[in-house]
Amino acid sequence: MALENLCGRVAWIFEDEDFDVDQIVGVKNIKIKDPAELGRLCLSAEDPDFAQKVMPGDLLIGNHNFGYGHPHYPPMIGMRHLGIAGVIAESFAPGYWRGEIAMGFPQVVCPGILGAVSRWDEIEVDWAAGRLRNITTKTELPIEPLSEGDRQMLEAGGIVGYLHARDREEAET
Amino acid sequence: MGYTIAEKILARASGQKTVRAGDELRVRPDFVIAYDFPGYTDVIFRQMEDEFGIERVADPQRFALFIDHMVPATTTQEEELHEITRSWGAKNDVPVYEGKGIGHQVAAELGYATPGAFVLHFDGHISQLGTFGTLAIGVRRHLLEAFVKERIKFKVPETTRIDLTGRLQPGVTARDVFHHIVRVLGPRACRGTVMELGGDAISAMSLESRQTITCLAMFTGAITAIINPDEKALDYIRPRQRLDIAPLSSDPDAVYAARHTIDVTALEPVAVIPPSPANTRDLSEVAGTEVQVGYLGSCASGRVEDLALAADVLEGRKVKDGFKLYVIPTSKEIMEKAAEQGILTRLIAAGAFVSSSSCDYCFGRMGVMRTGQRAVSTGTLNVRGRMGSPDSEIFIVNAAAVAAAAIEGRITDPRPYLTGAGHGA
Repeated sequence: MALENLCGRVAWIFEDEDFDVDQIVGVKNIKIKDPAELGRLCLSAEDPDFAQKVMPGDLLIGNHNFGYGHPHYPPMIGMRHLGIAGVIAESFAPGYWRGEIAMGFPQVVCPGILGAVSRWDEIEVDWAAGRLRNITTKTELPIEPLSEGDRQMLEAGGIVGYLHARDREEAET
Repeated sequence: MGYTIAEKILARASGQKTVRAGDELRVRPDFVIAYDFPGYTDVIFRQMEDEFGIERVADPQRFALFIDHMVPATTTQEEELHEITRSWGAKNDVPVYEGKGIGHQVAAELGYATPGAFVLHFDGHISQLGTFGTLAIGVRRHLLEAFVKERIKFKVPETTRIDLTGRLQPGVTARDVFHHIVRVLGPRACRGTVMELGGDAISAMSLESRQTITCLAMFTGAITAIINPDEKALDYIRPRQRLDIAPLSSDPDAVYAARHTIDVTALEPVAVIPPSPANTRDLSEVAGTEVQVGYLGSCASGRVEDLALAADVLEGRKVKDGFKLYVIPTSKEIMEKAAEQGILTRLIAAGAFVSSSSCDYCFGRMGVMRTGQRAVSTGTLNVRGRMGSPDSEIFIVNAAAVAAAAIEGRITDPRPYLTGAGHGA
């Protein structure tokens, strides 16, 4: 099974290095569980219409060490509810990375991404080619390959699907 | 070329002769640990049964559960969550530790920190088992794999070596050292790698101090921290360790992603300025800032030496009227030692609120702040809202500085209190 390419607009660029994702919904909302409510809260302090502007398939861009600190799941639960299909960053904090990959949420390391996109550019992540294409500006950058385990986790849609796939694989051997 | 301790542990746990950073392995964790928390343990238990038909784990002694958050329970839902954990443990013959303290510390006391062992948790502060030469990693929801499968797929990480040299000045602690590492090397110095610590300053440090530093590894971007076990570590852990395996250490010619050396001799007490754990300054830069709350505790700090240092600062003095000083020893064992040594009596006499071990003061479930308040804290983190209102602030400082601020109601250098030359003492 091959990973589907990510194709969408740049919905937001997080310019801060070492960005703490809890700020996306605000720490006071971090215990909320309802995805729709979390979606409405996403970046509402920065752009009150963010939730209305996002379309399914849109992507987020991050700087270095995206997800630093004590990351929690609700911010990206909200983002996925809005249709955000993945995050592309210069680099990621390992705890955040592992947690979101286990949720089946694509995360892409793309050195140079911050200088290569503007908000609402159309971009595409081509996993097989190992490239990120900016369709709007007709430029492209290499992306870092996923480890085998991370790729399988994303292909299976997260940890539960991945473990079922392991069950099937082990039953065949 | 030689191998790092992390490579050697993962070779052992995967049944291979040698492995190198970058290899993707099937590794059998020696221990799988969790504390009960909504969205983690309750979900894992349910998914094991509903998704994978697992009614009992095959090897219960590999697993350990701790009840340390939401202690004591304040709602029926919290108590119900604890009961789910207790009954799952009883059904599976998996030990559930309750009333013993913060699990990351108790895991060392109970010997899960076996040198050479590979340990998984969902929470990254389990890194502190690295004090004893254990490779302990927090993998968040990926932990489900270790509950469902005997082996997990795991990529061998690279290692960043940090040597600490020189001698700490009185009143400067391991807590200052860790945040100084972040200040000097940056919050992603060890990103995605194992932070391996060594050098004469580490050798001279107590195990408690080493636990403080290894606990906080995630704020350098590291996936965990580890120290090659020396006699000090082995003397503590040998009578407690749960597996009969040989300790492992990095080879002198091991391959590292990077090497750094930091001299700590000139280090002064630091403060980590809200709202980021990456924001270390000399404490003197924020001296005079008014604070109303102090927290001495957590899995990072709150051990006997921290409590003793705070008691020394408070000796013959009182917590300022209106100031709330919460002292929560990291474990029951630590609390008993501090009681035997008279430390708790001194803290109580000075006006501290002292309570049994719990994680709850660290994440704003107990002792919460209202809007506009500021705390000095030895908790793990200083992000906005961590200890109450999103419009309250947390300055992370060492145990002595928490006590000194409790006396004055403002951030102050604790060292004069320790030399008997206290301000207005």
